[in-house]
Amino acid sequence: MIAKKVLLVGNFGVGKTSLIRRFVLNQFSEDYISTIGVRVSSKIVQFENQEIKLLIWDVAGTSGNEKIPKAYFLGASAAMYVFDLSREETYVSIDNYLESIKELSGLKDIIVVGNKKDLLTQEELESVINTVSVKIDLITSAKEDENVENAFLQLASQAIK
Amino acid sequence: MEKPTVDNKKDNRFELLRELLLAEDRDKFTALSEEIIEKEKLSKRVTPLVDEKIEDLRRNFPEYFGDTITQTIKIQIRDSQDEVVEALYPIMGKLIKKAIVSEITKLSDSINKTIKEKFSIKEIFTRFLKGKKNDAGVVLNEIFEPIIEEVFVIEKNSGLLSGSYTRGNTADKDMISGMLTAIKSFAEEAFSKENQNLEDIKFDNFHLTIKNYKSIYIAIATSGVLSGEFKETIADNVHNLAEIILRDRTYLADEAKLNLLIRKHIIT
Repeated sequence: MIAKKVLLVGNFGVGKTSLIRRFVLNQFSEDYISTIGVRVSSKIVQFENQEIKLLIWDVAGTSGNEKIPKAYFLGASAAMYVFDLSREETYVSIDNYLESIKELSGLKDIIVVGNKKDLLTQEELESVINTVSVKIDLITSAKEDENVENAFLQLASQAIK
Repeated sequence: MEKPTVDNKKDNRFELLRELLLAEDRDKFTALSEEIIEKEKLSKRVTPLVDEKIEDLRRNFPEYFGDTITQTIKIQIRDSQDEVVEALYPIMGKLIKKAIVSEITKLSDSINKTIKEKFSIKEIFTRFLKGKKNDAGVVLNEIFEPIIEEVFVIEKNSGLLSGSYTRGNTADKDMISGMLTAIKSFAEEAFSKENQNLEDIKFDNFHLTIKNYKSIYIAIATSGVLSGEFKETIADNVHNLAEIILRDRTYLADEAKLNLLIRKHIIT
């Protein structure tokens, strides 16, 4: 079985942990993430007749002010940047965040996911899509379990490229 | 003898007077009698039911009131901790003292037994030939034997687990190797100056020793008392294992093969 380290990054409160909760059953205490700024979960996914073990590193916050150990980004095969569709501050500087993650991880592409779709009307959603300066790969709702599996499958796909 | 004449008129007057004076009392008496009779009747009907209820309550008391009483006691204990400690201290103190005395007696017996065995002519002669170990080390090792609980061979950057050994059942070794790598990275970036590595973590009676290499690190969890000699042996074995892995990187891609190698070099 192939094992890959993948990253989940994004500001505080955008729903990264909720996405993981939807996708895997976590066994570690919540205290870990607030103490050392990361939590690792594992999940085996089936992708193109292949079993892939994803080691998902949920890195807490990337607003630039927090000192996140650079080592968290090393050795990752894929990364997903999650922002909150209902909070502009989580996507207003998305270009900078993506660049800094690319630099730290050495990855060329990062999957961009807009979460909390359930908080927006269709009109508001379209407005956000037009505002965000980069291409949004997936719109999800962890609360309503919409597109969560697809987001992680896309992450697995990028990891084995 | 002649019977006295009956004064009917007088008797009737008395009777009439009595009727007049006691009419109210008689009514009350009748009402009370009826009430008592009614109560007795009711008692006959109700008593079995009450008895049945009392019996039911007696039998099912814990079920009916257990939770409430437990909750009340909890609240009482929480709100009166000082009083509880004062009340329990004499009892608990005695129990703790008894337990400590019992354990110390066991430890003392064990040390005596070990000293007796280790200081026999045969053992002294053997140690004289082998050299090395000090006497305290010999005794402590016998009593608190060091045991290798877990071994993890982990890719340095990604935290991916390449191979492992475990004595028991570890829940999710991949997740543990990931978290261990994260903790290691966090500690190294937070506290180290230049290129320093986290090498030891202690928790409870476990000791986690980390040996760092270029692209991998090896973590060994042990329990018991680690003598200097045991640490040296482990370090030598881990270095040998690392050399083999780093010379032949195919081990890192084959977990089963690496697990066998770990067993061979670290455990046996």
